[in-house]
Amino acid sequence: MFRTQEMEINMGPQHPSTHGVLRLKLRLDGERVVDSWPVIGYLHRGIEKLSESKEFIKITPFTDRMDYVCAMSGNLAYLGAVEKLCGIKVPEKAAYIRVIMVELNRIASHLLWLGTHALDIGAMSIFLYGFREREMILDLFEAYCGARLTYNAFRISGVPADLPPGWKEECTGFLKLFRQRHREYEQILTANRIWLKRTKDVGYMDAEHCLALSVTGPVLRAAGVARDLRKDEPYAIYDQLDFDIPVDDGCDTYARYIVRMAEMLQSVHMVEQCLEKMPSEGPLMGMKGRRMKPRKDEEIYFAIEGPRGEQGVYLISDGTDRPYRCKFRNSSFANLQALAPMVQGGLVADVVAIIGTLDIVLGDSDR
Amino acid sequence: MKLTRFIQKLILWELLVGMMVVIRNQFRPKVTVQYPKERIPLRPRFRGVPRLRYDPKTMEELCISCLLCEQICPDDCIAIKWEKAPSGKGRVLKDFIIDYQRCCLCGLCVDPCPTKPLTAIYMSHDYELAGSDRLDLVAGRTDLHEGRTVTIYDK
Amino acid sequence: METQMFITILISVVQISIVLSLVALSVPLLILMERKVIGFMQSRIGPKRVGPSGMLQTIADGLKLLLKEDIIPDRADKWVFRLAPMIVLVPAFVAFAVVPFSGTGLNVFGQRITPWVTDLNIGILFIIAISSVGVFGIILGGWASNSKYPLLGALRSAAQMVSYEVPLGLALVGGLMWAGTASMVGIVEAQREAHLWFFIPQVVGTVIYFMAGVAETNRAPFDLAEAETELVSGFHTEYSGMRFGLYFIAEYANMLIVAAVATTMFFGGWLRPFPNVSWLAFLDIFNFILPGQWGPFMSGLMWVIIKVSCFIFLYYWIRATFPRYRYDQLMSIGWKWLLPLALANIMGTGALLLWLGQTG
Repeated sequence: MFRTQEMEINMGPQHPSTHGVLRLKLRLDGERVVDSWPVIGYLHRGIEKLSESKEFIKITPFTDRMDYVCAMSGNLAYLGAVEKLCGIKVPEKAAYIRVIMVELNRIASHLLWLGTHALDIGAMSIFLYGFREREMILDLFEAYCGARLTYNAFRISGVPADLPPGWKEECTGFLKLFRQRHREYEQILTANRIWLKRTKDVGYMDAEHCLALSVTGPVLRAAGVARDLRKDEPYAIYDQLDFDIPVDDGCDTYARYIVRMAEMLQSVHMVEQCLEKMPSEGPLMGMKGRRMKPRKDEEIYFAIEGPRGEQGVYLISDGTDRPYRCKFRNSSFANLQALAPMVQGGLVADVVAIIGTLDIVLGDSDR
Repeated sequence: MKLTRFIQKLILWELLVGMMVVIRNQFRPKVTVQYPKERIPLRPRFRGVPRLRYDPKTMEELCISCLLCEQICPDDCIAIKWEKAPSGKGRVLKDFIIDYQRCCLCGLCVDPCPTKPLTAIYMSHDYELAGSDRLDLVAGRTDLHEGRTVTIYDK
Repeated sequence: METQMFITILISVVQISIVLSLVALSVPLLILMERKVIGFMQSRIGPKRVGPSGMLQTIADGLKLLLKEDIIPDRADKWVFRLAPMIVLVPAFVAFAVVPFSGTGLNVFGQRITPWVTDLNIGILFIIAISSVGVFGIILGGWASNSKYPLLGALRSAAQMVSYEVPLGLALVGGLMWAGTASMVGIVEAQREAHLWFFIPQVVGTVIYFMAGVAETNRAPFDLAEAETELVSGFHTEYSGMRFGLYFIAEYANMLIVAAVATTMFFGGWLRPFPNVSWLAFLDIFNFILPGQWGPFMSGLMWVIIKVSCFIFLYYWIRATFPRYRYDQLMSIGWKWLLPLALANIMGTGALLLWLGQTG
């Protein structure tokens, strides 16, 4: 007499919580997700192909526009690859400045994740608190490099400018304030029973499956794998810093929340160390002139630990000052593969929580 | 220990703590900026749209038409017209065009600029980039020197 | 006889129009306050541009909604689509008929005007019955839109409201047992005679009532039916213009009802705190400022407004803080926690009253 029917529903690309232009086709049985297909490509700009026709230095602004939430990491990954390709040494002071910026950017990126993730789940205020503190970091970036989102803050072989006067004090003040604010976020969410209910055992994915899908970053670390390129394959000056890698073996959304929250504090700790250890004098650029002479037929892969996971750049040179091939291994794209298995069998409300916990940036995955 | 936790759970303790945080934030200074009325003070290094400048002392054109900025621009948004100087040495700038529609404000053009101590091209503090026409956003030499005229909503 | 009847009817009409306009006027105020309060909690300043410090913002919004094109989706069930917002709105306003806004009435032209439209002896029951009609509006609205997200929202709200009606009603039973009457005025009078607000013996009942009330009015953290980040805006996704406005007004009117019932039932309605402690009488300031009958009337009104405002503030505060429950978790809270707790509360109250009756 009654006929039940599965319903296909289209989530996005204009849905309030698909974080940009992710389109998700869901097949629902009531509210339960039977099947899902992420559809990406709405933000494709052909950056990889475009890069082949540009000199190495001209590609840096493009890397800002891939993962625009942590553009500093994008810059560092790309420039690190170019420096590795051409065998350029980065002066120590420049490396310190780079690490400070990247770690601050990691905090900013995680704050954005925290805000949007919490907003998706329904906690409204923390979204604005997160943005409030992120704005302070953006102020710091503006004071350093002049831009607030697409920084283009580094150049090949170094950084273009020293920290402006008063910047260190402003930064220390912010870090101090941030520790307090971080405690407040924890007070709102960490023990909150609603938050626990919404995140515990939601989006479960164990280490084996994470590795099979090449998921990296906090999602992998929340599955109990202590994989962090900053420790495993130290680049820049990370081998001189003292920090821990937060790991949790909950494998669920809550574990990822815990890991990211702890990472923010670790980043604060790292920036503090950098400010202390940074040499006050020294060159900022390791190379004079702008001519790049990479060896012919050289292939390199260089990856850093971005806020979302492994952020790699693969370059092939043909001896000219342009890359023959430039491939970006972006963590959002890889992590997005975990979305479909994670939402399987969950409710519609969980889909939103899982999109939040994967912390995808569509500019990053579509390129 | 277990009892305190039970009681805390019973009286919704952690929810109350969260609510207190929200209330505490009510008394913090507000961060809203009423944009057209108030503006955030810009940092000295702020990168707005690139513009040209004269030598502040002699009020002469600083740009020597070396075309380095044109070459390095990743968006190809700079076009420079020049001709040979009458004296035979050097170049004279005829026109300098930046297409603000394409400019990505990356600031790469300022780096190679060879004029010392001030660069001829610099990142200005103009950030209001709206126009009713595409051609409005193509800035010629006068616009680059004097800045685009922007109608600002001030109600 | 004829004239007397005419006058009675006239008075009722006047009362009804006063109450209606009061509620209708307080809704824009509530919306404005919500935006301001939540804005302040989030380090923002809320609406600022229209009128002095944004005071006229909601009026402007309302005007905009009125002037907007009335869009009905092509495949919608047009009749039901038009009807649904009214089904939500009308009960929300009707329920105010039994809410007492103050203790003593006024004598105008020799006629007694009570500060409530009517004092039904089943007042509480009336409110519960009427407000459960509103659910149909939401379900029908979601269904008539013939769209997927509204359908999901409607299904959610159907399940949610049905399961929260029960604890909502049961939570009130404890209070009713103390009062011994279901008339709204009678309940407050009982609190005056008992020398205490029923909040004190009925803490559990109050908490359950408030939680169920939040769920019943579809507010955060139980706003699953419209859950913006999940279902875009749930049952009213396809609604625009004044039809959306009607849903909006009804939501706030329902909040007022829940707050008013809680005030009357558990917080002594128009009574000041500790009505039996005579040295606290100065709290009824209007008794000293205004002459004659106006004094007590305004004092009572003031207390009702203050208490209702506190509840409304609590609504906003909760909305600003908490994440949203998931649909299945909401159900399990309703059936597994609130319902047994409410039943236990009734049993406890019964036992307590029995014991008190024997000793006292």
